[in-house]
Amino acid sequence: MDQNSLHRVRNKALGIAHGVGLFLAMLVICLPGIWIVLSSLRPTVEIMAKPPVWIPQQLSLDAYIAMFSGIGKGGIPVLDYFRNSLIISVTSTVIAIAIGMAGGYAFARYRFRAKSAMFLGLMLTRTVPGIALSLPLFFVFARLGIIDTHFGLILVYVALNVPFTIWLIDGFFRQVPKDLAEAAQIDGCTRWQAFWQVEFPLAGPGIASAGIFAFLTSWNEFALASQLTRSINSKTLPVGLLDYTAEFTIDWRGMCALAVVMIIPALTLTFIVQKHLVGGLTSGAVKG
Amino acid sequence: MKGWRPSPPLLLLLPAVIVLAAVVVLPLLLSLYSSFTPFRLTRPETLWVFIGARNYLNILSNGDFWIAFARTVVLLTVALNLEMLIGLGLALLVEKASRGQRILRTIMMFPMMFSPILVGFQFKFMFNDNIGLVNNALQALGLTDRAIPWLIDGNLAFIAILTAEIWSSTSVFAILILAGLLAMPREPVEAARVDGCTPWQTFRYVTWPFIMPFAFIAMTIRSLDVARAYDIVKIMTDGGPAGRTELVWTLVARTAYSDARMGMANAMAYFSILLSILFTVYFYRKLAAARTQIAAEW
Repeated sequence: MDQNSLHRVRNKALGIAHGVGLFLAMLVICLPGIWIVLSSLRPTVEIMAKPPVWIPQQLSLDAYIAMFSGIGKGGIPVLDYFRNSLIISVTSTVIAIAIGMAGGYAFARYRFRAKSAMFLGLMLTRTVPGIALSLPLFFVFARLGIIDTHFGLILVYVALNVPFTIWLIDGFFRQVPKDLAEAAQIDGCTRWQAFWQVEFPLAGPGIASAGIFAFLTSWNEFALASQLTRSINSKTLPVGLLDYTAEFTIDWRGMCALAVVMIIPALTLTFIVQKHLVGGLTSGAVKG
Repeated sequence: MKGWRPSPPLLLLLPAVIVLAAVVVLPLLLSLYSSFTPFRLTRPETLWVFIGARNYLNILSNGDFWIAFARTVVLLTVALNLEMLIGLGLALLVEKASRGQRILRTIMMFPMMFSPILVGFQFKFMFNDNIGLVNNALQALGLTDRAIPWLIDGNLAFIAILTAEIWSSTSVFAILILAGLLAMPREPVEAARVDGCTPWQTFRYVTWPFIMPFAFIAMTIRSLDVARAYDIVKIMTDGGPAGRTELVWTLVARTAYSDARMGMANAMAYFSILLSILFTVYFYRKLAAARTQIAAEW
């Protein structure tokens, strides 16, 4: 074989290897999710079958119907959990974004003393493990009587989300050229007007994606919620997932169905913002 | 109102500072105080008994705690390194793909949407010794004829937890490194190739320095919530079997809520907070260094 064709064969082999590698990687990423969706549609007998049934024989929505049909009929109060999750996540996200916008703007547009120390300090409050934070909060909240309320959990999630929201929004405001707002101010806008009419619309998509990131954090949080909630008054979906586990048995099918209910809103939202999210996280790195 | 006026950045940051002080800093001060007391939830009056550093001394001589602590550090170190490597590989694979990059990127983000508790649950399901996908597949392929007790044997459970952890967090690295690869200018790579660099040399001396800050961003973000491994472990093994997969965080939760020894748990929690802060500060400083280096070169 001459060198030319040898090279061609090698390139082709590399191409195939690349395709196979890519396919396998994607399969590993997708498999757990697919498996959950599939299991939620299969009857329990089939999930438990030995030897395993690989190709689903019968698919049904029984698990979902049972789940939504309420307590006593094999269901859990999933609608209550869903409502709690939604109220808590949305409210805490809105507040966190308002606070984060103010903070992010301050970091992006002003110079002040101890700026980077301040930034690191804010980030460090985020590193406190949820379970470590839950101990004093549990005690304080119990004293204040706000354990097992929406208010308590909203307060916690706002604090949880503010540092990261500031980081993201800081990045998005940096991408908006300073000159634009200055030009608006020369044309007679106040700084306040310049912000709302020039800078805010331009950074808007980024801020929206920061909001969705905050929403996901609250939606998925477990360590704090599991200690600060008690009943259907405030239990969120991640905590509700544990309703399907008993001491020695787990209702796999029901759990899979609840998992699907949990993942769908998160999935939809992440797809909407994926592009902006990456941009916001990296803009600070390249431009300093 | 005349006279002293606070500067605008101070005013803008005030709400953030107030919220964080109220919900994070003050409670932490309280827990710092209570770590010097024998506080039990069932006996509130014990909050006022001051015992100095006895909790901390007890922890220092507590073998179980140090084993859990060491296990946590090992888990984090192994997980972060593997996530970094796999994420890098994944990013390079996707960047090389000539078609369908958008959809590949979307699939890559998939694990990010899963709540850690959900990750724990789905891997508990898949690693179940009796009905799990992993054992079923291994048996169907004839690789093993008996069920492997994934979550029952201590070492295997550690591997299962590691797998779950890596599955859920590799995408952060992959996505950010891919962003770095796509933002990178073409010329240096081409110049290196023309000058006769091998692919490995091109990667090591041209590509890698460029994407390093992105890798450190991922590391920093990831280190912000290393403690979410708690959710995964809590549901997969809950520290079991017989404490063989106990991490600092599950130990804190058990001491505080099952044993109701709040004072002791708070003292332990301070070790775990210290651990998180060390990880974050370390990567943050790396990030800052990489940033200034890039700024100087670009």
